[in-house]
Amino acid sequence: MQGGNTLEQLPTGKDADRAALGRAREVLGSIILGKDKQIGLALSCLLARGHLLIEDLPGLGKTMLAQALARVLGLSFRRIQFTSDLLPADIVGVSVFRQNKGEFEFQPGPIFTQLILADEVNRATPKAQSALLEAMEEYQVTVDGNTRQLPRPFFVVATQNPADQIGTFPLPESQLDRFLMRLELGYPNEENERMLLTGGDRRSMLNEIDAVCTPAQLQKLQEIASGVHMSSPLVDYIQALVRQTRESPEIDIGLSPRGAIALVAAAKAHAYVEHHSGVYPDDIQAVFAAVAGHRLQPAGNTSYRSSAELCQHVLDTVAIP
Amino acid sequence: MAKPRGTDGSLLASLPWTLAALAFALAPHVQFLPFWITGAFFVCASWRYTIERRRRALPSTWIRAILAMLCFLGVLVTYSSISGVGPGSALLAIMAALKLLETRRRRDQFVLLFISVFLVMSSLLREQYLWSLPYLLLAVLLTMTAWLRMSAAESETMRQNFRTSTRLVLYAVPLALAMWIFFPRLASPFWAVPIDTGTASSGISDTMSPGDISSLSLSSAVAFRVNFDNTIPAPRDQYWRGLVLQHFNGRTWTGDELTIASQPEDQIVFGGAPVAYMVTLEPTRQQWVFALDMPYAWSLARTNIGPQQQLWRMQPIDQRVAYDVISYTEYQVDLEMSRSIRDRYLAIPARSNPRTVRLAQQMRAVAGSNADFVEAVLMKFHEEEYFYTLRPPPLGSNSVDRFLFDTKRGFCEHYASAFAVMMRAAGIPSRIVLGYQGGEMNPMGDYLIVRQADAHAWTEIWLEGVGWTRVDPTAAVAPERIDAGISGAMLDGTAAAWGLLPPSALLHRLSLTWDAMNAKWNDWVLGYGPENQDKFMQWLGMDDPDWRKMMLTLVSLVVALVAVISLLLFLRNRPPPRDRAAVLYQRFIHKTGVTISIGETPAAYATRVRSRFSADSIDTITSAYLDARYGPVDPAALQRLKIAVSALSHPHQQ
Repeated sequence: MQGGNTLEQLPTGKDADRAALGRAREVLGSIILGKDKQIGLALSCLLARGHLLIEDLPGLGKTMLAQALARVLGLSFRRIQFTSDLLPADIVGVSVFRQNKGEFEFQPGPIFTQLILADEVNRATPKAQSALLEAMEEYQVTVDGNTRQLPRPFFVVATQNPADQIGTFPLPESQLDRFLMRLELGYPNEENERMLLTGGDRRSMLNEIDAVCTPAQLQKLQEIASGVHMSSPLVDYIQALVRQTRESPEIDIGLSPRGAIALVAAAKAHAYVEHHSGVYPDDIQAVFAAVAGHRLQPAGNTSYRSSAELCQHVLDTVAIP
Repeated sequence: MAKPRGTDGSLLASLPWTLAALAFALAPHVQFLPFWITGAFFVCASWRYTIERRRRALPSTWIRAILAMLCFLGVLVTYSSISGVGPGSALLAIMAALKLLETRRRRDQFVLLFISVFLVMSSLLREQYLWSLPYLLLAVLLTMTAWLRMSAAESETMRQNFRTSTRLVLYAVPLALAMWIFFPRLASPFWAVPIDTGTASSGISDTMSPGDISSLSLSSAVAFRVNFDNTIPAPRDQYWRGLVLQHFNGRTWTGDELTIASQPEDQIVFGGAPVAYMVTLEPTRQQWVFALDMPYAWSLARTNIGPQQQLWRMQPIDQRVAYDVISYTEYQVDLEMSRSIRDRYLAIPARSNPRTVRLAQQMRAVAGSNADFVEAVLMKFHEEEYFYTLRPPPLGSNSVDRFLFDTKRGFCEHYASAFAVMMRAAGIPSRIVLGYQGGEMNPMGDYLIVRQADAHAWTEIWLEGVGWTRVDPTAAVAPERIDAGISGAMLDGTAAAWGLLPPSALLHRLSLTWDAMNAKWNDWVLGYGPENQDKFMQWLGMDDPDWRKMMLTLVSLVVALVAVISLLLFLRNRPPPRDRAAVLYQRFIHKTGVTISIGETPAAYATRVRSRFSADSIDTITSAYLDARYGPVDPAALQRLKIAVSALSHPHQQ
């Protein structure tokens, strides 16, 4: 039932949209080796109309994953390298005075795209970071008093180095909350690392990727994913999990209602990606760390070293109805 | 002998609740128990708690045996018996105290809580007041809660336990009601418990000396309650006849031995309209039966009318009785009287109260007739400086002289006594009647409350051609005492002059309401004896009810009620259809013999147990379960799950 078997289980020809999703997963898996779980989560995140934060040390394939996602889903792609001197205008664009026309003309910034990679988002100043905010929440930007709609679908995939590195501006909680999921890629295992070293150049492979679906198809998939059946015992389960994050002595700040809503959306999308007949407890558990991890504030005296461990602790203390 | 080990402190959490339940159940007994038993209980309780807290050892078998012997002897010495309610509840309390000292495990705690329930029950053998009902219910609730507390998971809150015990008690209510209604009441119960009757009697005594009644006047205890069928006689006709006294020794009046009148029909000629009513008499431990002057017919068994028209029962009234009476307020008694009897009603000890005798003879000489003389005496009481008071000054011997000439302050008994003596001195036969006068209508229940405070003494004189005639000299001194009654006089403040303080109006209203509730409680609950049960059974349509029919009804009703309650509980806890998948899955987990851990998903569980069974069947069950329970409604998935689970064979058979 795990990701590896997904292709064989596909109902061939019966559900073309769904089949596209399986192909996307296969292609991504061939580029980012051994990270099937993260790929499934990333796809779920996009299907749930959520923005994605990938957090890890440099060189672990964060950018690669974002680019691959854009290509395989047929989305227009732009990349902004966040630096400490990045200005908001560098993200959203500026109005330039055209002498020949005698008027201002808006030069759209890189944000006017379907999938934007905000690379090393925590290197920019809070001011630049907040320019991204409006776009993520409202799907529009305002320049010189004019509000401009962003293309749809619109995704932000941000990457960041862990906050304890030098010269970073950690994202505030309010901004972290806008990301549906936060993923950590982690080191590849021995076998996969060997394939990386001996295999072809990943970057050229990236260029050879064909899109498996159109943006319109993707929006249709999002629609279907949000309609996945969720049984009432599992609504109870989500409520129990949320309650546990609020009541556990290990956690200072638990999940907000927005976090709970995010959990439902992510679990539904995950169930869709995994071809489940409805949301299963496994779907909730699979997305829980990614959805809840960056929204929880661990207690000062907690014995859990990472948010992943903390999330696992919550899962281990709540019974599945 | 092995060194006794200390307790492990495992009872520390639940012990305080057990102790509280026991203390609560014991509390109603405390006023009846000798002081040392209550003391022993509290010593043992705090001792036991300290042991648990400090993890000390329980006292050795020897100490416990010696303590038990000592306590048993103590009960034997205190009561000189071990049967009956008193010694029985004393032994129960001792048992609770000593059992504490050998309470090691839960099992022992169970015994303690059983004792607690027994204590609750046995307190009903003593008192069955209305107020004790909620208290005892609370004690039962507390016991049940302590019970739950004992086996409660740590996560359960006190509130949850309390809610559960309340629910359990509520389930028991219909059963208790059925038992109460249908359990056969027998006229002479074979389970009769010897109840300590005690010796103290309340209410009026069978002799009268100055000061006897005025001490009663301060008591608001209920003597009896009266429900009139239709007409309520005017307050000045509400003379509740009790006993008649005719022997006077200069200070104290006494009555005759109780005998049965030979021809009661000949004594009395009734007239006017009959008054029908029901009296509910509180226990007096005396034989007097009170009725409105003059009783014509009464329903109380083994009750006779004496030669002086007093009603009395063969055995003392030890329990509350209710009886119907028909009285006539107009009557003529003993139109004829023989010489010898007349002499008895004229007897005054020689040389006692000489001043009174002299005065009476002078006044009789002045007056033309007996009737004029009576009028003159009453006028004397009315016009001279005589006062009605509940706190009269003490009188010595020749009490009538002292009262009539010196103190001039008295209560009804003083006036009645002085009047009767003066009548006798002037040659008019007279006697004293003790009883109650008036009473207070309770508007809450539309009945008359007659309290001990309404106790009264009046005089009857015999006149030629008229017979015995009631003359109440108190009416001449304090007419409001007769017209409004003690309670009325207290309420409007006139009684303040007699030494009684008026109660606050609100308190008075509350007390009337409470009294009405008590009256209902007496009528409906405590009064539900053989007769009422018989009536109720016939009303229910059971002809010729006997104990066999009632037992049969009771048993079938209890069975039916238990069935209904069980059904309700079952329906309440039955899983909704969707959860049948969960039930099947539980069966599957039970079959595998591997417990599923908290937070473990079915898929994760499947990987764990796959190696033990055929992987196919595990996967089939898991996917069917996930579809049936978490997917959209899918009866086929449930069916698949059902088949797969029942097909799963035990690992050993594979």
